[in-house]
Amino acid sequence: MTWFIIFMGPIDPAARLLSEGQVRNSAEYTAAQQQLGLDQPPLQHYVEWMGNLLTFDLGQTWLLYQGSNVNALILDFLPRTLWLGFWSVLIAICIGVPLGFYAGMNSNTGADYAASLGGIVWRAMPNFWLAIMLLAVLGSSAAIIGIDYQNFIIPLDSLTGSPDMSQIGTVDGFLAATKKVLPAAIVLGSASMGNEMRIGRTAVLEVRNEDYIDFARAQGVSDRLIVWKHILRNALVPLVPIITSEAFLLIGGSVLVETVFSINGIGWLFYQAAIQGDLPLVGTLMYIFILMIVSINLIQDILYTIIDPRVGLEGN
Amino acid sequence: MSILGDFVVALPVGAGGAVAALTEFEAAIRAVPTLLSRETIPNQGYWDGSEWVGTFLNLRPGLAWGLRATLVYVYAFAIAAWVAAGYQLYRRVYRAANWTPRDDVIDRFRTHRWGIFGLFVVFMFVTMAVFAPALGPTTYEQNMRNSYSNEIQYFDTETDSVETVLVGQANRGSQSTGDNADRVLPMEYDNFGRFHPFGTLPTGRDLFTFIVVGSRISLVIGLLSVGLSALLASSLALTAAYYKGRVDLSTVLISDGVMAMPQLLLLIMLTSVLSGTWLGNIYSGGFLLALIFAFTGWTYMWRSLRGPALQVSERQWIDAARSFGQRPLVIMRRHMFPYITGYMLIYGSMTLGGAIISIAGLSYLGLGVAPPTPEWGRAINLGQDYVRTGSWHISLIPGLLITLVVTGFNALGDGIRDAIDPQSDAASNTAGRGGGA
Repeated sequence: MTWFIIFMGPIDPAARLLSEGQVRNSAEYTAAQQQLGLDQPPLQHYVEWMGNLLTFDLGQTWLLYQGSNVNALILDFLPRTLWLGFWSVLIAICIGVPLGFYAGMNSNTGADYAASLGGIVWRAMPNFWLAIMLLAVLGSSAAIIGIDYQNFIIPLDSLTGSPDMSQIGTVDGFLAATKKVLPAAIVLGSASMGNEMRIGRTAVLEVRNEDYIDFARAQGVSDRLIVWKHILRNALVPLVPIITSEAFLLIGGSVLVETVFSINGIGWLFYQAAIQGDLPLVGTLMYIFILMIVSINLIQDILYTIIDPRVGLEGN
Repeated sequence: MSILGDFVVALPVGAGGAVAALTEFEAAIRAVPTLLSRETIPNQGYWDGSEWVGTFLNLRPGLAWGLRATLVYVYAFAIAAWVAAGYQLYRRVYRAANWTPRDDVIDRFRTHRWGIFGLFVVFMFVTMAVFAPALGPTTYEQNMRNSYSNEIQYFDTETDSVETVLVGQANRGSQSTGDNADRVLPMEYDNFGRFHPFGTLPTGRDLFTFIVVGSRISLVIGLLSVGLSALLASSLALTAAYYKGRVDLSTVLISDGVMAMPQLLLLIMLTSVLSGTWLGNIYSGGFLLALIFAFTGWTYMWRSLRGPALQVSERQWIDAARSFGQRPLVIMRRHMFPYITGYMLIYGSMTLGGAIISIAGLSYLGLGVAPPTPEWGRAINLGQDYVRTGSWHISLIPGLLITLVVTGFNALGDGIRDAIDPQSDAASNTAGRGGGA
């Protein structure tokens, strides 16, 4: 499908590669086509392309960072996106789930309504806009909250830009890279946060009304133990698919967020490749994204069986 | 009512006759002097040294514009109230049946405060889109598209006289680019006596007009895409539920295949690949966007329709209809379809919100709707560099509006869901998000 869009689409990659004058020169045009493998019959080309993808022989880029190896390029860009994705998932879980549980435990109070409303509005905000606003607030944070974010704990050279992944082993390097990616991660995790909160709240509410909670209470189990052992553990079950399905949003959102924060991740690479017409790179990145989604789905199934023993593997 | 015209223009084939008929219809409507046409309450006048000339009752332009905008909304809400009252009257007095199941749904919705809030916001948004030409303090034609072939008069304080200037030149004198002296904040007048309810863009154009026209584009694209995907999803769900077995399995496979591709990435890829072609030029790229949305988004709606459709297909009246030889298509349309329309409404409302976010996200990146046509995301992009300066309004206002409108659509979906199916808490997944934009 992706292959069809790229190679049968209206953009002629060979023409993009050459300048206007060179296109009219038919000899050079054929040479370029030959170099890109476009002179083969479509089916043969498709089979070869798929074969290359499956063996991770990703070839070379055409336009962006011309001639460099796609494998090396992706290995260079991928860690930053993974770092960003890791923090955004973590932040979303650490803020969204406890808030949702809190709202569920204190349902129909003022705090519950405030948290629910906040979650709904938070979910409806466009990521890219939130990113711009957050940057504006952080940029003048000294005036607004009295702390200069840029020089707080670890000084940064600028608020935007890519995290430095080479120094990640050291404490300072770790802190700097984390701090740099933190605002972007908050924005990227915002949608998931709202979702997790909402699902967490309903899950807690449902579990609280189960018979076995009443039974445990009748047996004289302490409230604290009921909450921690019986309610929270069971309420986690419906959260697993939500957390993993956020991968979808994270991958889509990474393009916009990385563009706003000018982080050189693969989302940004995808956007650059798409607007400049570097089609093989687009296709390869699409392939990688799909691979990531499929593997996350696999992880979800495994997690499910760990958290909820009732779900057997054959049930899926 | 030219939003109808927009709809027809957005449809590529077989619409030639309809366009002609509609333009005639539009001309006929235009000929009737309405309260809401711009000429009835003009707000574009100039100060001649002692009073405003050319505005309604010689009011200040801001007041005249405010009066017109208020009247538009009063008019819209009056119509809505009239329809609601008429329905109540019909239900109480004229309808033969005392009670129908749908009454319960409507009564439940009426007491659902969150849903009513959503309906209110969505109604405001739709009114904005429908009355776009009358609502703006200036028009898209005059202020943006042909700003150098229109001229306005203004009072020059230096020469103490009324001068004439091209709109394009006036725009250059009212640019909001940071802390410059000429910047125009919300609810302010610029140096040319023009009123800007939301201030101006960095290009000096009126932000309110930009947003109002952009809302129409978002709404048309959103409705088109949701309509198309609803058509696809419902027909596939009904066919699969009716025939079951292999047909069902193959639709599951197809939808899983489509779902495996991240929607926003596919959108970025397709809009950039197809941007120069004839398909990408219909309705400044909006039609293409709607198509892509429909073909990537139907899976989510199909997923939620499949369950109810399968349930309906098990009912006895389906067997009965089949036993006396009704054709499958008729059974699906007449005996199954009415039972899933409610679910279509829920998901339609939520995906519309998501589509609005996605369209804004794409135009923020510079893809999708082509530049001269206003789109909310582009306003955010234009104002991005000035958020921390004196021209903070350019990015802030469109973003807040998007948030409000999307919240409204989600709330409406919640309300409809609770009204149709009070027990369920379904539909709370990611449908309201435009693929992570």
